[in-house]
Amino acid sequence: MNISTDPWVWIAAILTLAIFSFLYKENPLYRFAEHLYVGIANGYAITFYWHRVLVPSFFDRVGAASTPIATKIWLIVIAVIGALYFTRFIPKVSWLVRIPIAIVLGYACGASIPRAIDAEIIRQAKATIITRASFAHWQTGLWAVIILLGVIATISYFFFSSERKGVLKPLSYAGIIFIMIGFGASFGYTVMARISLFIGRLQFLLGDWLGLIK
Amino acid sequence: MEKENILIRLQRIDRRWIYLVLWLVVMIPLIFPFKIQPQPTPSVEKLFNYIDTMPENKALAISVDFTPDTRAELQPMVVALLRHAFATQHRVGILTVQVYGLGLAEEAIRQVTAEFNANANTRADSVIYGEDYVFWGWTTPVLTVMLGMGERITNVFPIDYYGNRTETLPIMQHIKNYDDIGILVTIAASAIPRSWINYAQTQFGVNLSCGITAVSAADFYPYVNSGQFIGMLAGMKGAAEYEQLVRERMVKNGMEWVLRNRGTEAMSSQTAAHLAIMAFIVIGNIAFFATRRKRK
Repeated sequence: MNISTDPWVWIAAILTLAIFSFLYKENPLYRFAEHLYVGIANGYAITFYWHRVLVPSFFDRVGAASTPIATKIWLIVIAVIGALYFTRFIPKVSWLVRIPIAIVLGYACGASIPRAIDAEIIRQAKATIITRASFAHWQTGLWAVIILLGVIATISYFFFSSERKGVLKPLSYAGIIFIMIGFGASFGYTVMARISLFIGRLQFLLGDWLGLIK
Repeated sequence: MEKENILIRLQRIDRRWIYLVLWLVVMIPLIFPFKIQPQPTPSVEKLFNYIDTMPENKALAISVDFTPDTRAELQPMVVALLRHAFATQHRVGILTVQVYGLGLAEEAIRQVTAEFNANANTRADSVIYGEDYVFWGWTTPVLTVMLGMGERITNVFPIDYYGNRTETLPIMQHIKNYDDIGILVTIAASAIPRSWINYAQTQFGVNLSCGITAVSAADFYPYVNSGQFIGMLAGMKGAAEYEQLVRERMVKNGMEWVLRNRGTEAMSSQTAAHLAIMAFIVIGNIAFFATRRKRK
């Protein structure tokens, strides 16, 4: 056993145990650790946004003599529009918040929609097409067929425009099976993820703190 | 009062007993591990082989897009990728589009560069900042980073994490934009890999791969199947598999160093915990169905 002498390791270990104490029951120690975490996370982010974004991209450029006047005016106009987000706190002029929101939404939608159609619909649909190359190996061929069947069956399950009879009935039933398999896989992976996070904390407590892991 | 059946009692068991069992099941194999060697899955092998055979003039870019809460699963991936890149003498560029990723990326860089430099006999063996690797840091918004890097990386990151002007770093003569990046691996616990596909790949055709938490694995398999991602590392198990492949590569390269592989280290605990949870599910179902039949 080789217990750490680093005070930061001790602080982290005590806070980890404080968070774990919630498993027994809700308590002030847990709430303290939770609030501390939220506070530190916000403080950390604000500091970086200030020093790494606002200062170099705005204040330094506006203050620099070498920056052309036109650029300075643009920067100030953009900053004023951005500052309109804070009008939410003033009820009389809170409607002004719609201006920066509209600009951000418009920009993001314009940039995203064409690319998302290509990446998320066209490329994904293309991946379900079975070609001769899919059967280069029997396993890849089998998976290609299963994927195609799974896509058709799952989509047919969400086809609500007509009653489920005829071909649609067995297809949508097969769709449920594919969906359930998907949920099962997601659940299994979720269990694995949560256990992994717990292992990570125990690696820290038993290894970095108590020195029990060799 | 009728004595309660064990099956009914099992259904009412205080969940704290289950936590205690899980605590022990995870803790004991960490202190007394049993030998378990993760076998690489095809998606992990695909990423490994791609980086392993990548031309030397192409760089590996790692985007550390996760937050400390998923460190256990994802940090071993960053460490393993850095070791692989340095062992195969590829240049590395590290960035993050997630402000909380800065500290995590820096921690991994510090660890791996220390490992390599401690074992270096010549200057050529060591890894040097600004020549072999660069930490571009973080900037916002995400869209500007992903699109801007396709034109000129030094415009997106004029200053690196340590405050140097990126233009002055020798490595930046070789990494100008996505054309010089062999593959960009995003390590994330959110939907950010999808943004990399939408913006960086669709617009500039950069090769991508991802390391993600196990929770998101099922969501990202379709992108591996469609070829949009060259392989994928899913959760701690994916990290452990990659660690094994990197270890073998390093041994082949004569780097028989004793290194800590946190992903592999966790696999005996992970296995024991999965067995325990499977047992809980089976027992819970038996108890449920047996008591339901009795009620009928």
